[in-house]
Amino acid sequence: MADLRRLSALCGEVAVVGVGETDYGTDYVRTRRGEKPYDSYGYAALALNRALADAGLTKDDLDGLIVGGPIAYERMAEIAGIEPGWSGSGDAPTSVTQAVMAITAGFAETVAIVYGNDQRTAGTAYGGPQAMGGEAILSYVYFAPWGMTSQGALYAMMTRRYMEVHGLEPHELGQVAVAQRAFAALNPNAVMRSPIDIDDYLGARYIAEPLRLYDYCLINDGGVAMILTTRDRARRGPNPLVTVAGLGRADENIGATTLRPRLVTFYHEGHAKVREQVYGTAGIGPGEVDVLGVYDSFSCHVPYALEGMGFCEIGDAGKFLVEKGVGPGGAIPTNTSGGHLSESYMQGWNHQPELVRQARGTAGERQVPDVRHTQFVSDVAGNVISVVYRSER
Amino acid sequence: MSAPARPAPRRGLYDDPFWDHVDRRDLRLQKCTDDGTFRYPPGPACPTCLSLDWSWEPVSGHGSVLSWVVFHRQYFPEFPPPHVVVAGELAEGPILIADLAGELPPEMSAGTPLRIRYDAATDPDGRERTIFRWEIGPA
Repeated sequence: MADLRRLSALCGEVAVVGVGETDYGTDYVRTRRGEKPYDSYGYAALALNRALADAGLTKDDLDGLIVGGPIAYERMAEIAGIEPGWSGSGDAPTSVTQAVMAITAGFAETVAIVYGNDQRTAGTAYGGPQAMGGEAILSYVYFAPWGMTSQGALYAMMTRRYMEVHGLEPHELGQVAVAQRAFAALNPNAVMRSPIDIDDYLGARYIAEPLRLYDYCLINDGGVAMILTTRDRARRGPNPLVTVAGLGRADENIGATTLRPRLVTFYHEGHAKVREQVYGTAGIGPGEVDVLGVYDSFSCHVPYALEGMGFCEIGDAGKFLVEKGVGPGGAIPTNTSGGHLSESYMQGWNHQPELVRQARGTAGERQVPDVRHTQFVSDVAGNVISVVYRSER
Repeated sequence: MSAPARPAPRRGLYDDPFWDHVDRRDLRLQKCTDDGTFRYPPGPACPTCLSLDWSWEPVSGHGSVLSWVVFHRQYFPEFPPPHVVVAGELAEGPILIADLAGELPPEMSAGTPLRIRYDAATDPDGRERTIFRWEIGPA
């Protein structure tokens, strides 16, 4: 059971001082032409350069390294020429959490978290006979004899169940893809920028019914990096101060292969624990979150997260999407860069710099006014994790 | 004419007895000797009490629909779209995920009764096996 007193001691002490991303849109065009500008490590190195420049630091300032995606921290440290006092690997919110832990525990002062993935040019398969990830997540591969693989199919199964239990309508779910594309149209670095409306959404083909084309994330190459350091050191940096103000994590692996936590509770048991932790440590509630980031390999993550974090009652997400809205001008602007559906599929990593930019007030045309708190939520394959960022301008 | 081709199942220490039973058209799951919990997929320990003792016990083969998915994109050469896969909850508790034999009924919904059926199948290496599938069953 998480101890909120000890967890709170970590929160507010570490700041994000640098963010860097690669050129998702132009690299997508290049890779579609058959070019391969970088491999996974190359994208990671480019993003790291940009994050360091943003922070006004050099690689010699780093004493911690945490990596994500199909890269190893040992090789990344060799490539980047750094000898960290703490290193490791994890998904995006876990990497943020680990960086906070390493810094507050005293293992490191300034940590880079770095992701690179050449999944499009490498032909990484997320479904079918060569689906990846099966050792850790058996549901990805176990049901191949019955023709059931692909992460989209798992979420399609979950969404059909949700529709049966709570009555989500296709035009309600479709608001997610339409809203995120509207944000992507305001983001010069997004891969997919042409606006779509609900008729485009409903008219697109099914992939794994009930999920349609626009419910699916992109597959593209790129990298993301962020630099985290102590609050005191961050105050001396060039950027508006943004701290990691809240953390929470709860896993749901029991029965995961046969999808029990997805089909029976929609991960809401994990959400409930995480909600208590992340809002308890940040000292806020969902009403004080100004921008939300939701891991959106598929659009349906958004309604599950809205309910799970308490933005609406359980079962009301469809109505919330239509009546309150998650797009520009909506009640809770969500995935304001376009997210995985329209900006870039960096497996939760591209959400982090966007939430930091929104908290800094530097998100350009898509900047949400008067942002104080931004929140990331993911519920990928049984790991419910959340991070709250706070603007301390 | 050989039976329809299917991707091979994962095999291992705990999967082998499972598939040996299926080949005899006798679906059995591991049942914990200590607390009586059924589990699936096969594995070394009871997720309820961590006991390492179990026996392979027959199950009713009756269940009900939790959810389903219709593949419109083709992921496997063996399963041309539309391909329907059902998550059904067995009367004994575990969820079994398998393709649906027959057409998707228009009145399909959560709770629709299901039953297990057996069909002949051919592995990619040419070996004949038995596969279990769901079909819409009597209530």
